[in-house]
Amino acid sequence: MLLVLSEEHKEHLSFLPQVDAAVVGEFGRIALEFLRRGTSPKIYEGAARKLGVSVEMVQHGVEGLMFLMTESSKHMISEVDFLDSVLVLGFSEELNQILLQLYLQHHAHIRSILSQLPSNQPAYHNLEWRLDVQLASRAVRQQVVPILTLRLLLSGVGDGVCARRGKVLQTDPSTLLHLISTLEGALAAMKSSHARRIFRNIK
Amino acid sequence: MELCESVQRGLQQLADPSVFITSCYRELLEVSYRSLLSSQADPGVLDQAELKQVEQIVLKQSHTAATTFILEAVKLNADKSTISSCLEELTFSAERIDIFYEAHQKHKKELERLLASIGRCPPHINDVSWRLQYHVKNNQVDKVNEPFYCIALNTENEGSPEDINFTCTVEQLQDLVGKLKDAAKCVEKASQM
Repeated sequence: MLLVLSEEHKEHLSFLPQVDAAVVGEFGRIALEFLRRGTSPKIYEGAARKLGVSVEMVQHGVEGLMFLMTESSKHMISEVDFLDSVLVLGFSEELNQILLQLYLQHHAHIRSILSQLPSNQPAYHNLEWRLDVQLASRAVRQQVVPILTLRLLLSGVGDGVCARRGKVLQTDPSTLLHLISTLEGALAAMKSSHARRIFRNIK
Repeated sequence: MELCESVQRGLQQLADPSVFITSCYRELLEVSYRSLLSSQADPGVLDQAELKQVEQIVLKQSHTAATTFILEAVKLNADKSTISSCLEELTFSAERIDIFYEAHQKHKKELERLLASIGRCPPHINDVSWRLQYHVKNNQVDKVNEPFYCIALNTENEGSPEDINFTCTVEQLQDLVGKLKDAAKCVEKASQM
């Protein structure tokens, strides 16, 4: 599968051959840093001053690289397809190799960043538990009620903020056994021939 | 058991055969347990034919006293001798004490459960439902091809149901089940002590 680069994208990237290979490498590093932590206009300004070009050109260059990296990581294109895709840019062989290395080294990480974006449902992070025995309350003295207090930690709740949220819950021993057997059923469904057939065929 | 003056007075009236004849006494005890155990207060609980012969005010005082006494006895898990000596002091006959104790044994467990459920506690998990899904692709990433689970914990918080939804990968579900099993093992060990 080849990437189809828009004219605008090509124009933004056309800034890259005008600078040193080392600078392109540096842009690549910045692009990945921005993908991880978000952009920072100060860095654009600093780089523009050093290179003696406009801030806009630097910004377009870096963002063009970011887009190139995310698009190719999104489709997980092969090495050959990546090189063929950037061929239309008319860059030197050396520059193409720099871009390829950047892609090969970081595509797994970029995919993991991208895969966090669409998840709007909280995801399981951890479970802490404690066995309590209720001995007395205002209404009844002398009780022996075993209770399991659980703290369920969920991560990634809304707005792309990686906030962890703990929820304190409790249950009784017989429900606990029921939960275990139900969830073991869920795990067993993974290994069923039906599920395995689907996993094998959708590739 | 410490009882306030009005409760003591109500019980003394209940002990008096000239106010409550035996059948009336039995009926009032039944009515008292029923009014404690029914989920909704029934305003007509004292409108029993058997109780018509007792004066309304006395009936209400004795009903309040009996229910208070029953709750105290359950709360403190009072044994037979405690109940007997307490009622004896309030001029109950041996026969009436036996009738009371019999009724008390019959309803005690249920009342205990009811009283134990009073009070604040974190949401209680009652059940769990799950769905296995296969994540193929999304607008950000192609070829994801990963199975994952959607889990809903059905909890109850002070009577109102609430679902806690979350997703987890296969490894995370194994982790979750492993931790729940650890907890179950711990409960089993503790129960053998």
